[in-house]
This record gives sequence, C-alpha cells and structure tokens, in this order.
Amino acid sequence: MPRPPIANQIRRLRFEHGEMTQSELADSIGMTRQTVAAIEAGKYSPSLEAAFRISRVFGAALEDVFQWTDAH
Amino acid sequence: MSFREISAWITLTSVLGCFGVYFGSLATGQVRAPSFATLHLLLLCVSALVVLQIGLHAVAARLVPTSAPVLKDEREQLIQMRARGLGYYVLMSGVLALAIPGHMEISKIDLLNFALLDVVVATLVVSAAQIVMFRRGV
Repeated sequence: MPRPPIANQIRRLRFEHGEMTQSELADSIGMTRQTVAAIEAGKYSPSLEAAFRISRVFGAALEDVFQWTDAH
Repeated sequence: MSFREISAWITLTSVLGCFGVYFGSLATGQVRAPSFATLHLLLLCVSALVVLQIGLHAVAARLVPTSAPVLKDEREQLIQMRARGLGYYVLMSGVLALAIPGHMEISKIDLLNFALLDVVVATLVVSAAQIVMFRRGV
C-alpha cells in the first residue's frame, strides 16, 4: 500500500526543543518510542488525536508539524 | 525492540517449539493417537506453552519496562488488528478444509489434531505478521 504524501518536522522540532529524545516525546503523548520513530520516519501516519498531541508538545500548529506534500 | 514485538516473538517461538514437539512426535510415529501417551504429550506441551508464555513475558516486561504500558498505543493496536485479520482467514480456511478429512475414513482424534493444527498455524501467522509489520513499519 503506497504511503500517503505526509511530511513531518518532528525531528527538527525535537532538536529545537532541547534535543528532546524520541522516548521523552513518546512518554509525553502516551506512545511507545518505536511508534514515534515510525511516525518520524514517515512509516506510520498518526491519528488526528495523536497528531494534535504531538503539535501541542511542541507548542506548534498542526500544519507546522505535518504537511501534505502532494500538490493535488 | 518494543515489548509488543518481543511478545510476538515469544508467542511465535514458544508455539512453534511446543506444538512442533507434539505434531513432530505424531508425524514421526513416536506416539500414536488415540492413546493416553498422546493425551499426556498434548497436556505436557500445552502446560509448557503456558509456563513459557508467562515466564518469558515476565522477563520481557522487566527488560523493557518503559515500552510495556498497560494499554497498547494506536500503532500497536493497528498492527494487532491487521495481523489478527490475516489469522482469521487462515483459521477459516483451515476450518473449511476440515470438511475434506471429515468426509474420509478418518478417526475423531485425527480430525481433532487437524483442527488443533489449524489453530496453531493461525496463531503462528498472527505472530509472524505482527513481527513483519513491526519491522517493516505500518
């Protein structure tokens, strides 16, 4: 199944927030580190709820964390 | 490796090992069904499976406590759901396939063993599918 054209800025945002580790982010949103790693690598598209949780941790808008990269 | 992936490995290897011994003994003729020896072997294998599952999961929970939350996260739930979906088709196919030996001159115990084999194969498919999805990414 083709992956949806969703990019994310989680790696950059983690770096900008005191080099937050994947484990710290995972703990703050109630997920495992492996799931955060899969989201960050674009292998798994999180639910809307999880996406909002992640953006809240960084104090950013949803669109600043996740972007739909397909032009259509 | 997350606790759930380790759990899938534990299930895959312990089911393969325990029921491998049971079906291996039947296939090589070391025990012959129906007999008390077969029943004893089956009970021994099931008991070993229960002990292995509990023991190895306890060890895994100690080794990776941070990734062993009570609730599965959404990706783990999705992986489990997809893997069980695959296992369901295997189980249903096996149950329908039981009609073939069921219409032949076959003993009840052999038919029961075919059904047990179907459950074992379905369980192995679920565990293997979980491992593949954890590794490949979902």
